[in-house]
Amino acid sequence: MIEVENLVKHYRSSSGEIVRAVDGVSFAVNPGEMVGLLGANGAGKTTTLRMLATLLTPTSGTARVGGCDVATDPVGARRRLGYVSATTGVPDRLSAREILHSFGALHGLRGDALEARVARLIDVLDLARCADRPAGRLSSGQRQRVSVGRALVHDPPALVLDEPTNALDVLGARDLLAFLAGLRGDGRAILLSSHRLHEIENRCDRFVLIHGGRVVAAGTRDAFVGQSGGLEEAFFAAIGEARPE
Amino acid sequence: MTGPRPSPDRAAGESSPLPALAAIVAVARFQIDRLLTPPRLALAAIGVIFPTAVLLAAAKARDASLDHDLGAILLYALVPEAVCMLGLLVTISPAVADELERGTWVHVAVRPGGRRALLLGTWLAAVLWTGAVALLGLLLALLTGVISNGWSLLGPFTILVCLSCIGRAALFALPAVIVPKRSLVASVGVALVVEYLAGLIPAVINQLTVSLRLHTLLVRFMDWQRTLAPELQLLIDDRPPSAQVAAVLLLAVVYLAIAVAILEWRQFPPSEES
Repeated sequence: MIEVENLVKHYRSSSGEIVRAVDGVSFAVNPGEMVGLLGANGAGKTTTLRMLATLLTPTSGTARVGGCDVATDPVGARRRLGYVSATTGVPDRLSAREILHSFGALHGLRGDALEARVARLIDVLDLARCADRPAGRLSSGQRQRVSVGRALVHDPPALVLDEPTNALDVLGARDLLAFLAGLRGDGRAILLSSHRLHEIENRCDRFVLIHGGRVVAAGTRDAFVGQSGGLEEAFFAAIGEARPE
Repeated sequence: MTGPRPSPDRAAGESSPLPALAAIVAVARFQIDRLLTPPRLALAAIGVIFPTAVLLAAAKARDASLDHDLGAILLYALVPEAVCMLGLLVTISPAVADELERGTWVHVAVRPGGRRALLLGTWLAAVLWTGAVALLGLLLALLTGVISNGWSLLGPFTILVCLSCIGRAALFALPAVIVPKRSLVASVGVALVVEYLAGLIPAVINQLTVSLRLHTLLVRFMDWQRTLAPELQLLIDDRPPSAQVAAVLLLAVVYLAIAVAILEWRQFPPSEES
């Protein structure tokens, strides 16, 4: 469902230097699978996800969503992908219902189909009690749920989430990850980035660790962790850093 | 249950294909929804009342209603120029810049219409919003009867307002996509340098300004070309009104095409966002 092959993204910095933000990354996410993209800040996680979301153009390599190449068929890729960015970007004045309506309309949904889809999302995201309240008056967890609903409004088979639990407390993060696990059970391919390893350690089917724009380790939790004892230990070992005491 | 329930069912299927125009209209509706805030509505109300207040003050100073020509000059300065220019400056520049600066643009740009629909929809929202404010301001000014035979100005000034909004919103979209972090300052600079200074220079560069077309149309609509001082004749174009209208529309298309091309081409690395 999500296929990334030798993906490269280079920028020219303000000083004129070439910055290799992503440097030959490859991985895949199958339907019904949740994959965790791990890495420190600046490792290239967000740049990779943004190339998948057609927000950045790859320098080279390929990225496909549902068989659609993000470079040659970006509209097809957008139709098949839901994207949740690190910043919720939920307009303060609009309500959850209005936001979901607006973004459904951006996908060509209208009439009864749009109404039914918005009602269903409000129900499954547990937003019924605050669906008509301005988003500026919602809690961080509720805003993040609106953000997830906005990504799901067109019922995409693939979902990409960039550090979705960042602004959430422990309970909010737990609820969101349980919800994502439900989406995975629904047959969607889910790729989420995070540097809060303990939260996703037991949620993801596989992990891909990026460091310096390259994949330095990948595999199931058991294969990834190996003899190191835990995901954090494996993470520090893979990037060549000693775990802080 | 405090959190969302897992295992939602799948919806009926993929969304239907969205034609380009429908995507632009959908973005415009979304942007207009976002504009409906109390501060924005208060600003719009000021924009509606401001021309009438100035005209009434001018009439009071003269102890009489304004004659047709003087009223037309004042109305032109107030509505197609001041209200449209200021309205667009505080609408399209912050809208585009806010999207790009705060990272909210990505949520619209990942939809099928992409960045093109984002920019053109925002442009359309700015034109409709500012145009509505300016036309209400024009109507209110004419309703007061402060200008002699004022209703004859309604048709020509409606055209001037529409062209001012269409052309200048496209012009201000350029600095918004080139320097989103300084878009308002850059747009004010463009307004002053391109629209006012260059618009008053009788040179080839005039051809690229909306001001030249609006000045020319005003002179033609008011039938002032024969009585205009020779030095002022240099500031207007010889071609007929239809050519001026076509020129503004062409300028808008060119400006928007450049802005869309820049937005499509530009890469916004995560590190550039605030």
